[in-house]
Amino acid sequence: MECYSEQTCALAVDGELAADEVQRLRDHLTTCQRCRALVDALRAENRVLSESLNELPDEAASPAGFTAQRWSWGWSDLAILVVVLVLGSIISGWFNELDIPAALDWFNPFSVSGRTNLIFHFFDYFAHGGTAMLGDYAAVVGWICLLLLLGGSALVLGRRGRPHYPGMRLLIVLLALSLPSFALERRHGEFVTVAANETVDDTLVATANMVRVDGVVNGDLLTFGRTVEVRGTVRGDLISFAQRTEVSGTVEGHIYTVSHTLDLEGQLGHSIYGVVQSLHIDDRGRVGDGIVVAVGDASLEGEVKRGVDIVTSGSADVSGSIGRDLTMVGRSLTLTNTARVGGNLSARVRQLKEVHIADGATIGGKRDIQVRVRESSFTRPRFYFHQAVWLAGAILVGWLGMLLFPGFFRATTQLVGSGWLSLGLGVGVLAGVPVAIVVIAITLVGFPLSLMLLALYLAAIYLAKIWVSAFLGRILLKPSGATKGDWLLGLLVGLLILTIVGFIPYLGGLVRLGVVCLGLGAFAGQLYRASRPVITA
Amino acid sequence: MDAKRNMAKEPQLREGGTGQMERKDLESLIECARGHDGEALGEIYRRYVRRVFGLCRYMLDSRESAEDATSEVFLKLQRSIESYDGSIPFPRWLLRVAGNQCIDALRRRQRGRRVIVEVEDGAAVIEPVSSEPSPLGAVISKEERAKVRDTIARLPDNYRVPLVLRYYSELSYDEIAQQLDLERNYVAALIFRAKQELRRRLPDRSK
Repeated sequence: MECYSEQTCALAVDGELAADEVQRLRDHLTTCQRCRALVDALRAENRVLSESLNELPDEAASPAGFTAQRWSWGWSDLAILVVVLVLGSIISGWFNELDIPAALDWFNPFSVSGRTNLIFHFFDYFAHGGTAMLGDYAAVVGWICLLLLLGGSALVLGRRGRPHYPGMRLLIVLLALSLPSFALERRHGEFVTVAANETVDDTLVATANMVRVDGVVNGDLLTFGRTVEVRGTVRGDLISFAQRTEVSGTVEGHIYTVSHTLDLEGQLGHSIYGVVQSLHIDDRGRVGDGIVVAVGDASLEGEVKRGVDIVTSGSADVSGSIGRDLTMVGRSLTLTNTARVGGNLSARVRQLKEVHIADGATIGGKRDIQVRVRESSFTRPRFYFHQAVWLAGAILVGWLGMLLFPGFFRATTQLVGSGWLSLGLGVGVLAGVPVAIVVIAITLVGFPLSLMLLALYLAAIYLAKIWVSAFLGRILLKPSGATKGDWLLGLLVGLLILTIVGFIPYLGGLVRLGVVCLGLGAFAGQLYRASRPVITA
Repeated sequence: MDAKRNMAKEPQLREGGTGQMERKDLESLIECARGHDGEALGEIYRRYVRRVFGLCRYMLDSRESAEDATSEVFLKLQRSIESYDGSIPFPRWLLRVAGNQCIDALRRRQRGRRVIVEVEDGAAVIEPVSSEPSPLGAVISKEERAKVRDTIARLPDNYRVPLVLRYYSELSYDEIAQQLDLERNYVAALIFRAKQELRRRLPDRSK
């Protein structure tokens, strides 16, 4: 009888040969010395393999050692940290020596007035009672935060020290966000007042039906209320979300506002930024810097030291003085005899007859009045550029999300697939969360929480389309594996489709709304899932 | 006879223990773990982490990725344990789960492609009796076992992965084929060739 091949013998030894074959081989072995030797040798070989593999290498010696080493700091981590510190020092030194033009100072992360370090400002703001009091300190905090950020990124890129439990990452984020929970003076009630003889040394957060400051607030004033009146002095910024905001006293910083009406009868040290239905600067009102607002109607009777930029859906009436340029986009513009514009006047209106400039009005610079013709945005190259930037931004955000919370992003994308359930949940979340934010904000301790919730809500609305796009892309592409690359490619395809669909009149708007609801629903669902108990081992 | 015995063989567990008492203990442990009992999950972790890590370490190229995969296996365990039906011994099931995790990790690294791709080079064809088959002898000293381990670790993915799944996780060819999305015959051929390659790389072994 012919001998068996080595491979057949190997199959037999591995227990992978069919029963009848095994019987035949066994019969053969009784007569064939050579095959018997081969089978014995193969069996011995298997034993060697099993024993060698099962005797684990030393590095897997003990589970305790394995977990302890996970968090140990190696020399390479130390080296990365040193490099980051040195680089950071060099960069910050270099930044300090640079003679940055004032116009570009917003870009400087180490500057107190820098706008790129808004986040640092935010933390510092809450942790230390407002930028107005410890403004300089923001630069230091910004420096430290930037170093931490750089160091953290370097460590993440180096795949070391990366928290392995998603819960841990979430905890870190929450800890960072929970800073706002101290060092604030909070007042809450139907009627909150700072009496004329009273001085608040901290930043004041006031939530009430009616907020009135007759005395002095040395920090910023942050208010939620129906009516906010400042008759006394706010040395920092006034940040108000109110139906009516009225300043007849002094605000030394800026005014940031979302209000129905804003009346300024007093003194403002810097600028007004806001979204307001009706803006009124009284003839006694003084604005130290400029005004940048989106308004329904604006009436400027007082004095503005620098420029005014207005986007209005109604009319802008100017009878006071503006130190520099007046730029407006809107329906109608009126300059009375007493109006004075130090710089250029540029206006974009629908019809030329909507611009009334009295003969007595003074305009220092050029007049540039153009009729805004609504042309299709598709014909402008800028439109495509903006869309490309928007797309790149969304991809970048998606990539970052996948880097930091891969499991969560994948799972949320998956959950979009539950269709009506996600959509229904999303509609509820979209409508319910703003109500919850307001309710929480009214309670005393809940204010920082409501801010966090607001941030999360806005972020989720943005991220919604990313999850939905990724899901759409995945359905269309059906990638072979589920790698990060596939996810991102799916995201790109999905985003492109949604963007194009979004331009269809009426239907596009509906689709966009649906996308936001779907994504929000998936997000809420995944949050709920993730909040279930996690392993503690 | 031996073939049958091999077929019925269960993984030998260093940590788990297969004694009657231990088994009963394990059953109740799994039951508790199914109810999201943190302590039970912790105990399972303590018992099997070394074994799971060992598999991940053999399958993946770096300690870090092996640690990542091990963490993932135990993190997912609280959910995946619900799908364990007791039809095979728990440790073997756990190693199968871990094997899948590692294959996923390898796949991710290869941008979603399959870990091992079948190539038409005749590998699946049963080869004729080689002129001088010389399997590894019973080399058994500790140093030599370490040497075998090192050599296995240096084998390319397509040899190392099936070999480790077969002789460490003790999966059947069918299970390996399923995990790697390959034909069973191809798995057999890969394991066969892996052993040949191992023999070639360990030339000065003692017989």
